[in-house]
Amino acid sequence: MKLELGYIFIKDIQFSDVSKVEDGTLYVNKEEVKALILEDQNFQKADVELAKPGESVRIMPVKDVIEPRVKVEGPGGIFPGMINKVETVGSGKTNVLKGAAVVTTGKIVGFQEGIIDMSGPGADYTPFSKLYNLVLVCEPVEGLKQHDHEKALRFAGYKVALYLGELARNLTPDEVEVFETPTLTEGLKMYPDLPRVAYVEMLQSQGLMHDTYVYGVDAKQILPTMIYPTEVMDGAIVSGNCVSACDKNTTYHHLNNPVIHELYAEHGKTLNFIGVIITNENVYLADKERSSNWSSKLAEFFGVDGVIVSEEGFGNPDTDLIMNCKKIESKGIKTVLITDEYAGRDGTSQSLADADPLADAVVSGGNANEVIELPPMDKIIGHVEVADVIAGGFDGSLHKDGSITAELQVITGATNEMGFNKLSAR
Amino acid sequence: MKKMIITNNDWVLKKYNGKFTVVYIDGTFKDVLLAVRDKLHLGHELLTHPLGSSVKPGETPIKSIMISDEKNKINFSSVYMIENAIITYDKFNKEKLKFLDDKRIEDFKLIDLTVLESALNI
Repeated sequence: MKLELGYIFIKDIQFSDVSKVEDGTLYVNKEEVKALILEDQNFQKADVELAKPGESVRIMPVKDVIEPRVKVEGPGGIFPGMINKVETVGSGKTNVLKGAAVVTTGKIVGFQEGIIDMSGPGADYTPFSKLYNLVLVCEPVEGLKQHDHEKALRFAGYKVALYLGELARNLTPDEVEVFETPTLTEGLKMYPDLPRVAYVEMLQSQGLMHDTYVYGVDAKQILPTMIYPTEVMDGAIVSGNCVSACDKNTTYHHLNNPVIHELYAEHGKTLNFIGVIITNENVYLADKERSSNWSSKLAEFFGVDGVIVSEEGFGNPDTDLIMNCKKIESKGIKTVLITDEYAGRDGTSQSLADADPLADAVVSGGNANEVIELPPMDKIIGHVEVADVIAGGFDGSLHKDGSITAELQVITGATNEMGFNKLSAR
Repeated sequence: MKKMIITNNDWVLKKYNGKFTVVYIDGTFKDVLLAVRDKLHLGHELLTHPLGSSVKPGETPIKSIMISDEKNKINFSSVYMIENAIITYDKFNKEKLKFLDDKRIEDFKLIDLTVLESALNI
């Protein structure tokens, strides 16, 4: 399966009468975007704001970040099974507004989280401070249930991202990157001197605000399976995971999965990238056993020498991580785990809630308990009072001058477990 | 297998008492963990993971855990998991829990209920 990603580099975003992309500027008709959001009767009011790199702007509480893309050639459309028909994606051509993003915000439940600072020390911790963001602030109708609110907000994000992506349909990309994965039989014959490597991607799947969808299917209901890496680039996996800002994988992370990109970059040089296995992180222990049995079975069936496993979340997914590690290692396949740490504010506590001697190759995305200071910003998009109740915030964390003292876990993407961040540990 | 739910979430008690054996704990998250540990020492088996996935123990005061209703030989992997969960729970700063209002506690009850139901497949 072969996909060409055409990048149109976005260097500015502005409101305008007509939505278009011209000379690297993304022009957005605010009213059209608002109307698109308000097509959903679950919302009574919608506002749209811009947030650019370097501005004194704080966005909170962030729910999802989505990169605008459009399918220009080949079957299906972006976000199959969610917005577009459930056709197999991942081949042909897709254009990307690289440098732009749609950010959804909203208070779905009383405790909330997710900060993106566009400047200052907080900006260094999140990749989304480097993007030209269109921020959606959606107010639900009175009495809307949390499940419905979460879903409505998620879909508002996809719809607006597709609306912006559509602007790239007839543009000539500034740069094109080609990704190709052959069939398993062909792939196994390639580069016989290099180690064969697969990627096991763990998806959060535990209930309201903790879900991930694969072609529209709730991931808690899947058995682990294979997916072509290019399918992921076309939005086959989307995030409905609103909790734990620092180590959740937003839809943007899935679209730009850095493990997949790095494996492609090393393919034929240091390794032979065979494919991707997706698995879930359920609450029920029997589900954890079944899924880790299955992911290890698939790794064995793929005939690989090693796998990279990425986690999502902390706590009970640590058990899935260790089960995957132990069972895959027991088949003679080497594992490297990517996770983050909750090692206490001084970093001296046990980092994960589970462990095993076979987990001897681990990459850390950073310590989410580390305390940071965020200076006040001139403008807040969203709800500033949320700072006190977001994950990792504690009473008194929002100071009178608007500055915030909190744990790193409040920042969206700060300790990402795909490695889409700058923190680690040696 | 018959199931038992140990919980400090009154919504779970209200909804599932009668359908399952529900042991209601009028106490903290930690009290629920300790009650589960005591049951596991008697030979019950852990059926759901005692830790949350992304809502951390320092954020929510609410927890429901499912175990087997029947007793058997002590299941050491269950005991290992609950002991690890207790260590992890103790590690988190619980300062925030003092300031929760009723609305937020209700939200945590809802999340706990849906997470439990994802295991019950309801």
